[in-house]
Amino acid sequence: MDLHLQFGYGMMDHCRHLVKSWSGGTVILSPRDLERKQLVKLSDEIRALPGGLVLLDPQFYLPRSDHARLTSHDYWPDSYQTNGFFGGPDMHKLMDAVLQLNRDVGAAAFVLPGLLATTIDDDWLGTLRATAERAATMDAGMPLYATVALNAESMRNTAGIQEVLAEFETLNVNGAYLLFEHPNGDYIVQDPIWLANALELSAGLRLLGKTVVVGYANHQLLCLGAASVNAVVSGTWMNVRAFSPDRFRAADEEDQKRKTVWYYDPSSLSEYKPVFLDAALRAGVLAGMAPPAAFGSSYAAALFSGVQPSSVGFGEQDAFRHYLQCLLHQARAARAATFDATVSGLRQVLDSAERQAGMLEKSGVLAGARKFGDGFDPVRSALSALDATRGAMLRRSWATL
Amino acid sequence: MDIPWIAAQFPQLSGLQRLAQGGQKVVFAAQHASDGDVVLKLLLRASDEQRLEREVLAGQLIECERVPRVFETGELATPLGSCIWLREQRIQGTTLRTRLRSGALDFTSVVRLGVQLLSTLAHAEAKRIVHRDIKPENMILDTSGNFWLLDFGLARHLDLESLTATKMPWGMGTLGYSPPEQMRNRKREIDGRTDLFAAGVLLHECATGANPFRDEARDDLEILRRVEQQAMPRLLLLADRDGRLADLVSVLVQKFPTQRPRTVAEALTWMREIESAHAGTVAGGRTV
Repeated sequence: MDLHLQFGYGMMDHCRHLVKSWSGGTVILSPRDLERKQLVKLSDEIRALPGGLVLLDPQFYLPRSDHARLTSHDYWPDSYQTNGFFGGPDMHKLMDAVLQLNRDVGAAAFVLPGLLATTIDDDWLGTLRATAERAATMDAGMPLYATVALNAESMRNTAGIQEVLAEFETLNVNGAYLLFEHPNGDYIVQDPIWLANALELSAGLRLLGKTVVVGYANHQLLCLGAASVNAVVSGTWMNVRAFSPDRFRAADEEDQKRKTVWYYDPSSLSEYKPVFLDAALRAGVLAGMAPPAAFGSSYAAALFSGVQPSSVGFGEQDAFRHYLQCLLHQARAARAATFDATVSGLRQVLDSAERQAGMLEKSGVLAGARKFGDGFDPVRSALSALDATRGAMLRRSWATL
Repeated sequence: MDIPWIAAQFPQLSGLQRLAQGGQKVVFAAQHASDGDVVLKLLLRASDEQRLEREVLAGQLIECERVPRVFETGELATPLGSCIWLREQRIQGTTLRTRLRSGALDFTSVVRLGVQLLSTLAHAEAKRIVHRDIKPENMILDTSGNFWLLDFGLARHLDLESLTATKMPWGMGTLGYSPPEQMRNRKREIDGRTDLFAAGVLLHECATGANPFRDEARDDLEILRRVEQQAMPRLLLLADRDGRLADLVSVLVQKFPTQRPRTVAEALTWMREIESAHAGTVAGGRTV
């Protein structure tokens, strides 16, 4: 499983740096955050790097959005009527303009506009089909990825997830770009059904031969390696590590307000403020929080230099790059040679992380809002559910996925 | 309709014996001069006339080794009313239901059943026909140990208009064998995967002697609840050392068609791999 970069506030330099550092990588461009000229310019820069690729998410989840920059793009319709939009020339115009933008940015695939599903019903499935069928006639010259954006309630609809899969059986697209709204605004999801359905949808699509890219992901979705997902997408702030449709409803100023720096401890799957790293130093457990050398992250090296971590100037830039560097390594390690080895490996990561987090907590090293804590068991439960429903098929097809 | 009257209508038949009589159907065994042992079915025309015609059509369309061959069909005026009749190959053997009364099948027989049933259903799938009533009563185990599929009376021809009213809350089928989408009459979900569910239940029952959806259920609603909500226990068979058959059966009995193999042909390929692996094990003298 690969890691793509989700563009968001303050991400431009990280994208350039990381794609260069990784000798390749894919950036998912965000019209919400960049104007057309900026999209093209950034894309040119990324694609000029060895192995650099871009995708463009048109972010058409909420057509009645009031987000000024997002709706200023030329593909955004001036007016939107639910009835008839997807069956007529307005949708064709939208698709033509989005395809043109994709061509202008040199996208590696055409991510189709897709509505947020607040209910998985025939109407919403109809929009999925309409865009796919239209795209198939457009001679895009690149793979087609249908957008499946599900709100938190839809993510609990197990029968609805199967309806999406049934639709994809006859949908002429190469892949899917999946977006899952987190319930209750949680960063770490505590609902095993939500996670099981994320795995089920991803695995079902992979077994249909579709490429699957899951956007707005954090380290909890490393479990998608068990569904043989092609890539998860993550970024800097929490709002690009967890899909929140509200972000696309109207502009918010939160991005600029969030200044807390968090250190991601890949061994405990939790994030800590530097002052708690001070506590870790005092308790003699800090060294165990350093990333393994194999992860290749030197961004946080200063934290482990022996001086008070909160005094070494570990800032946002290093924190973000460290997170994404570790996540890249963990994502690539999440999928093993067989389905059983993958699930076993993921369970080992969870068990080990839970032990590590527990040990740190006993030492007074607390992750607060970013602790994985209540996320362990839901992931375990979801992996068991995946094994029960899809295990045999995945076991059999793994080598071809 | 007594036997002398039937014999008079079908002079080419001899040794007529009544085998079964249901609401709309009378079945006789007989000998035919050139076709040998045959079965003569007389299907009374009634409100379900189209369904009867489709059973005949299914029998004619599905030409495969393990479905009795239809030799001839026609119409006949009888004292009870107009009938459609068909004369087909008679399979000497016993129903799987009767066989199961003496216990589960051995592993080799279960594998053979799987291959032969799925092969038959793959032929049906190729003709866009779904049997919709796979169960031990509709399988014959012949004297050579082969399995035959009977009774396409509920068959759904996917290219023909459905005969089950869309507004009906319940579909046709047999509780404890038919999958949720069939019992709930979700017609657009019906395809070859519908039969895969029932085939999985049948394989489980033949391997263990028990149908967990039906056994000791209080009533029909209890069976339906189990089919919709209760996972079939995983098969645990000594001879299935690497769990391959258990894996396949677990996939066949998934609640949603989207979770089963996409086609019967795909399931058959999987089943044949199990057969090959088992044959290798037996040849290597490692069977238990």
